[in-house]
Amino acid sequence: MSTRINLFGALREADPRGYVELELPTGSTVAGLSAALVAHLAVHAPAVSASLVRHCVFATDTEILHDHREVPAGVTLAVLPPVSGG
Amino acid sequence: MEGLHVAVVERERAALDVAAALDFVSDPHFGGIATFIGRVRDHNVGRRVTGISYDLFVPLALNQFRAIGERALAEVGAPLKLWIVHAKGQLAIGDPAVVVAAGTPHRDEAFRACRLAIEAVKHEAPIWKQEHYVDGDSAWSEGCSLCEEDRAHTHAAHGHAH
Repeated sequence: MSTRINLFGALREADPRGYVELELPTGSTVAGLSAALVAHLAVHAPAVSASLVRHCVFATDTEILHDHREVPAGVTLAVLPPVSGG
Repeated sequence: MEGLHVAVVERERAALDVAAALDFVSDPHFGGIATFIGRVRDHNVGRRVTGISYDLFVPLALNQFRAIGERALAEVGAPLKLWIVHAKGQLAIGDPAVVVAAGTPHRDEAFRACRLAIEAVKHEAPIWKQEHYVDGDSAWSEGCSLCEEDRAHTHAAHGHAH
């Protein structure tokens, strides 16, 4: 399945469109999604640190999805770098 | 929660309105209002800052602001009105970036609710700060990871300097 992931903060620089699309096996976990994003960025945005991606979380519009969760089908996700509001 | 106002305001549309926050949390039953206003300062870690760009994941940020409101209400155990508004976009030195205001019957509850809310906004909400420097360079702030493992790891040592 194809999953679209919107980019924020420092990760916006990884793709000028502001998102990436990854192909994942159905039933993949968020941990698998994270590994797929690291691999994708290593090829398409080598300036982005893999360490930064490993400190990110994934989220829907309403909740953060931790590593053990299954990637929901047909839902646009967001990847959230460490936060610095206020 | 009634008495909760949360919003994200695009800087190019408007500045944050502190007077509106105080008005919103006012109530004839309330004798205390605590307010926190976070403003853009002109330096960070020894570098001269000329402005800040804030990026937000708006739907999740608003959802989290509402959850923070519920948590504050449960924590203070008193009637509460709460205002949480954060700016988005390009801000200049002195611009307010965040306004939190808490109205309660007494000052202790107001201070506690305000502190809880601003700390949660800073450490948990999907907001990112990019500083622009006088030499034309810019950098995204390092920030707090939302990963469960990272949070467990840093909780004990977290200095809250930011």
